[in-house]
Amino acid sequence: MEILSEKLEKKSYRDGDVRIKIFGSSYKKSDILNEALNQARVEETGLAIPHLLEVKMIEGQWAIVTEFIEGETLDKLMEKSPEKISVYMEQFVKLQNEVLSKRAPLLNRLKDKMNRKINESGLNATIRYDLHTRLNSMREHSKVCHGDFNPSNIIVTPEDKMYIVDWSHATQGNASADAARTYLLFKLKKQDDLAELYLNEFCKSNDIAKQYVREWMPIVAASQLVKGNESEKEFLLRWVDVVDYD
Amino acid sequence: MAEITEKNGNILVDSVPALEQKLEQVRKAQEIFSTYTQEQVDFIFKSAAIAANKARISLAKMAVEETGMGVVEDKVIKNNYASEYIYNAYKNTKTCGIIEEDKIYGTMRVAEPIGVIAAVIPTTNPTSTAIFKALICLKTRNAIIISPHPRAKNSTIAAAKIILDAAVKAGAPENIISWIDVPSLEMTNTLMREADLILATGGPGMVRAAYSSGKPALGVGAGNTPAVIDSSADIKIAVNSIVHSKTFDNGMICASEQSVIVDKSIYKEVKKEFIYRGCYILTSEETEKVRKTILINGALNSKIVGQSAAKIAEMTGVTVDPKTRVLIGEVNSVDLEEEFAHEKLSPILAMYCAENFDDAIDKADHLIRDGGYGHTASLYVNEICQRERLKQFAHKMKACRIVVNTPSSHGGIGDLYNFNLTPSLTLGCGSWGGNSVSENVGVKHLLNFKTVAERRENMLWFRTPQKVYFKKGCLPVALQELKDVLKKKRAFVVTDQYLFQSGTVRCITDNLHKMDIDYQVYSDVEPDPTLACAKAGAEQMKSFKPDVVIALGGGSAMDAAKIMWVLYEHPDVDFMDMAMRFIDIRKRVYTFPEMGQKSYFIAVPTSSGTGSEVTPFAVITDEGTGTKYPLADYQLLPNMAIIDTDLMMTQPKGLTAASGIDAMTHALEAYASVMATDYTDGLALQALKNIFKYLPACYENGANEPVAREKMANASTMAGMAFANAFLGVCHSMAHKLGAFHHLPHGVANALLITKIMRYNISPAPQKMGTFSQYPYPNALERYCECARFIGVNGSNNEEVFENFISKIEELKASVGIKNTIRDYGIDEQKFLDTLDDMVEQAFDDQCTGANPRYPLMSEMKEIYLHTYYGE
Repeated sequence: MEILSEKLEKKSYRDGDVRIKIFGSSYKKSDILNEALNQARVEETGLAIPHLLEVKMIEGQWAIVTEFIEGETLDKLMEKSPEKISVYMEQFVKLQNEVLSKRAPLLNRLKDKMNRKINESGLNATIRYDLHTRLNSMREHSKVCHGDFNPSNIIVTPEDKMYIVDWSHATQGNASADAARTYLLFKLKKQDDLAELYLNEFCKSNDIAKQYVREWMPIVAASQLVKGNESEKEFLLRWVDVVDYD
Repeated sequence: MAEITEKNGNILVDSVPALEQKLEQVRKAQEIFSTYTQEQVDFIFKSAAIAANKARISLAKMAVEETGMGVVEDKVIKNNYASEYIYNAYKNTKTCGIIEEDKIYGTMRVAEPIGVIAAVIPTTNPTSTAIFKALICLKTRNAIIISPHPRAKNSTIAAAKIILDAAVKAGAPENIISWIDVPSLEMTNTLMREADLILATGGPGMVRAAYSSGKPALGVGAGNTPAVIDSSADIKIAVNSIVHSKTFDNGMICASEQSVIVDKSIYKEVKKEFIYRGCYILTSEETEKVRKTILINGALNSKIVGQSAAKIAEMTGVTVDPKTRVLIGEVNSVDLEEEFAHEKLSPILAMYCAENFDDAIDKADHLIRDGGYGHTASLYVNEICQRERLKQFAHKMKACRIVVNTPSSHGGIGDLYNFNLTPSLTLGCGSWGGNSVSENVGVKHLLNFKTVAERRENMLWFRTPQKVYFKKGCLPVALQELKDVLKKKRAFVVTDQYLFQSGTVRCITDNLHKMDIDYQVYSDVEPDPTLACAKAGAEQMKSFKPDVVIALGGGSAMDAAKIMWVLYEHPDVDFMDMAMRFIDIRKRVYTFPEMGQKSYFIAVPTSSGTGSEVTPFAVITDEGTGTKYPLADYQLLPNMAIIDTDLMMTQPKGLTAASGIDAMTHALEAYASVMATDYTDGLALQALKNIFKYLPACYENGANEPVAREKMANASTMAGMAFANAFLGVCHSMAHKLGAFHHLPHGVANALLITKIMRYNISPAPQKMGTFSQYPYPNALERYCECARFIGVNGSNNEEVFENFISKIEELKASVGIKNTIRDYGIDEQKFLDTLDDMVEQAFDDQCTGANPRYPLMSEMKEIYLHTYYGE
């Protein structure tokens, strides 16, 4: 068995055609099952994702078994061939749009999740009040949102087919929120140029104003705060401390 | 469930259950308050306003301290304004119970409170908005529950409490003003759902939440006021007004200027004046720094809101004189991608250079559409010399307040720099801003107005030709007026072939000749006159240019002449419009053109029946389509009617019978009409009496019965006057279509239908009755019996009288040769049945239907047609 990745409390192995993801004891059973369920639901939409094969116990630990997809992640490819960046970005956005075009009515709702995250963000009452108000006024949409859509979650096969992995954050909700999240992920990686390139491409391809995506930025920043990453804190606080006009 | 602290009925509102408990108390308080008199309310309103005014400084300090935004001295003005100006604006306004009464029209307007008002208060103007909203709620007997913003909750609550205490001391119920102590969006949403109305001031998010709560909301939106300085403006006034407004409370008023758009020709001078007045023009590098500070991802950085120019400069790393009043960035783009194009809620201004006035307007329009749709726009212009520019600006801006040569912060809230804009701290932005109101919110928006309307009757009328001349042999005498009084020179005589060839027309032309009046005769009128015939006549008139039209003949000649008259006076009229069906002749959509400008109109009947000589009606048929246009308007009344029995002596029997019965139905329908009046009743009754007494003799002996002929002539004209004012009924509606579809003579069609209709009309419980305020309840039976008794038909009760009357009518019909059924007149059964539905629908839609005492259902009309066809 080949070790694919090893994070604290989460390990991935390759075993022939399958990938086995083993969760440590700090993971809640419900979160693991939810991840598997999300994966199954998204799989039913027909998107190109690794199929879920099994959820089982391996030596007393929960494990999710999926197809293994041979290939390289898109972020690696972007790094390798910076001259092709605009082509990659176009493909990246196209793929995200395809996800967003799908419907999975039983997925959790993005707005519910964000409301929860704002409560858990540790921000003061005033900012939370403003963020809740902002979120509350967003329209109810039901597009499939990956929730962590970034190039490292895209696997490109040698045949140039793209697979999207890691559906643990998937919800249904507003495309702009998912785009704001992707933009934030670029910014957190200090890839400012890619962030702007991405936002331009996303808004252009969907024919929407950037302001729609930007309206979500304080909210996605607040939800990111929940992860408690100290190095991101100052940056994220700047994003959330804004006012809706009086 | 959160703990609820309860002490002396005071609840700490820190959770949804506590809020629900509070709401109950507030509702009870409002129920009591709703019974207060105007005097009680006015006293409470005044006491509360005084208390708020007294606290203006402490509240201002508190707000600045708590929120860290704004300027104490300016907040004092706002608090003072919210108490004094609001009190002054409404001190004499009636808001309780009957506020208006119009005894003549019988209406009352009654003002009622709405109930519990949810008020969302923003951080930018916490105390003044709380004072404003609480005061207008007190004035309108509403309760108010305030949802403060967490950042400003203490000062908001303090303001509310001061007003509550003063109001209660002045006699208001406890709990009439309340608030959420520990604000959360969940509680705000609960409050908005539970309240009866929402007064939401806040950001677009809050306003949207208000509108989606399902309760009526007066929400107001964001502003992004552009100030255009035209080349004609007084630069000193413009610049100083803008600086004054922009620095007010550090730029936190939503109507405050966000950008200045300056005409190229004065740009330098304006810039100089800004600098002279303490503003700082940022260099392009500094502009970039400020740009990145004021907006984060397109949203306003909360750290700059309500801060001084110097403090913001410091935050951005720009060094300026600490006394700097406004930071100005010279920018080009009005697009949202330009940070300076947004609302900044601080003393930062964008400055644009406009090529010309049109360019300035385009820029302002763009800024408003993107950031302040429906809010406020500002223009500096020479309002006397450049009135057109002012109008152009007003026309183009999608803003609900357009202030001219005025600091917009002060101008938008009303009563400071203008005196007709309602003083208010809640400014509606109309549908553009997603609001239900487009004006400044005031007490009228917090009231339900009930209108009590008592039943009143219409003004009635009686209209008839100015001159009605009658008596056997009167024609030459009457015509003499043409020369002696009216000084007419050219007469146009309209008649039919029979009257022309028989020489009857000479009774007129000979007289005209004697009086030296030029004349022309049009003699081609046929029965059921056509539009083509009317047009031909009118064409002739056009070249002859008569100053008097004389119609000689029966209904056809008179109707044709009326239409020729219309076409002669107004060649461009549209018959479809003129024939449009109406409910009330005085309220009709179409305004009939004024007649008589070119020519006088005289009608001389030669048969006794139609009454057209005294009616405002005419029917014309479009020979192309077969459409009949029944025209009705008092403009069609002849100016003079001459009833000379000499012209009627030789009417043929059939005509005597048909037109005589026609006159009878005119009188009967006018009498039973919902619009019948004392004036028309007398005429109808006398007409009926004459007809019953003299028609048989006329029919039998014709020319040998001059008295009978004269009585019938008078009856016909009197019945015409009656129905010219009271109108007709369903008998005529149905007769019109029977005539049109099956070519039965009009009088015969009426004769066949009249008794069936009378039986139909007398129902004391019709499916539907006629609609006219004078017509109180179904009374056709009584009305017909009045007619019966007048002509000497009696009985032991109304039912018997009515039956006897029907017999009498049947007798009269028989005596003049009217057959029993439609079938008896040889109308083909299949053809009748095939056309029945069309006849019913068209008869239903006939102009005569509306005056019938019983409003018919089409199914009922169909049944009547069938009965009339087959006989009972």
